[in-house]
Amino acid sequence: MATTIAQLTLTSSDLLSDNLAISTAATLTGAGNSTGLTQSSGLTRRKMTAANAAAIQAGVLYRAGDYTANASNKFYVKNMSTTAAEFFTVTIDQEEIGRLYAGDWMFMPWNATSGTKRVGTVTIAGTWAAGDTWEFDGITMTAADSTTANIAAQIDALNYPNWTTTFVATESTIIFTERYASSGSYTELVTADGALNTAGNGTANISSAAVGSKSESDISIRPSVHTGMTYETILIHE
Amino acid sequence: MATTATLTIASTDIAGDPVTVSKQATLTKAGSSNDLDQSTGLNRVHLRSVTQKTLLAANAEGNDLAAKVYIINKSDDASLYITVAINAQTTGKLYGGDFMFIPWSQTDTDASIKVAATNWTSSTGDIPVEYALFHEDTDFLTNA
Repeated sequence: MATTIAQLTLTSSDLLSDNLAISTAATLTGAGNSTGLTQSSGLTRRKMTAANAAAIQAGVLYRAGDYTANASNKFYVKNMSTTAAEFFTVTIDQEEIGRLYAGDWMFMPWNATSGTKRVGTVTIAGTWAAGDTWEFDGITMTAADSTTANIAAQIDALNYPNWTTTFVATESTIIFTERYASSGSYTELVTADGALNTAGNGTANISSAAVGSKSESDISIRPSVHTGMTYETILIHE
Repeated sequence: MATTATLTIASTDIAGDPVTVSKQATLTKAGSSNDLDQSTGLNRVHLRSVTQKTLLAANAEGNDLAAKVYIINKSDDASLYITVAINAQTTGKLYGGDFMFIPWSQTDTDASIKVAATNWTSSTGDIPVEYALFHEDTDFLTNA
């Protein structure tokens, strides 16, 4: 168990007619327990630039699908700019939380509520031959032999940029699960999403097991100028 | 009228080397170096509602102005939490002792900050919550 302490001090000698002094310290623990959070992104720093003002895009700071939902996650972001007018707009899903002006920082809990991921099952069947290919998600599998279970194993062993796979040895099916629930317009995964090139009558039919739904709490950050703004961030999570 | 917010995050064992983040921000008006000059002061409420209650009502006049919000769950019970939402977006849970400090864009009057004592029951007791708003220009109390 790790011990991480976040301490906040708010002070002012002249905002009010009496001194303002608020100070608190929190030990960052798991949801509803006293076990210290054990995982962290580490402190990261990134400069965001764009070709011109019209080309400014928001960047995803943290994807909900990468973290435990409804957990006791905490994140910190700081605008490292020293130009007062430059700000980052911080958004969770489509709700603007606030603007971080030069030197400003924020620290808050994060639910990391993800959507659901699209799932499909690929079934290798028919007569395959060594050298047949099947392409999916930009990745091509070339069959080493004609055994469908071996071909399924080959498909499972590859790394797909947008999908993960589940495979049971000796079976001829592979379950594909999308890495991120990030689109609001998911359609069913279909056979045509793969490209088959076979010398025989081999098939790689895809049946959809689930249509996904969009992520609900990705954290995004958008700079106000294109000339280069730098932020630092850390996520401490379950 | 300088108000400063200082955050320190420290751990000796969450990574292979110690982690220390210590930053201070002077709370200023939007896009300037002029200090924020208004505050609600520190407020305290006792939550006993599993449904959302408005903690800070958004004021559309505050859009594009600087505002900072501090909220802390003062419960001693680590299992008691409040769920914090802005508009319809649930942002996170503050467990007993947890706090947050965020900028607040009042993009419209729907952007109010709401809290709910989601797992409160009559046997858990109230959840004390303290909060403060630091802002510029508009008088939020007239919009509450």
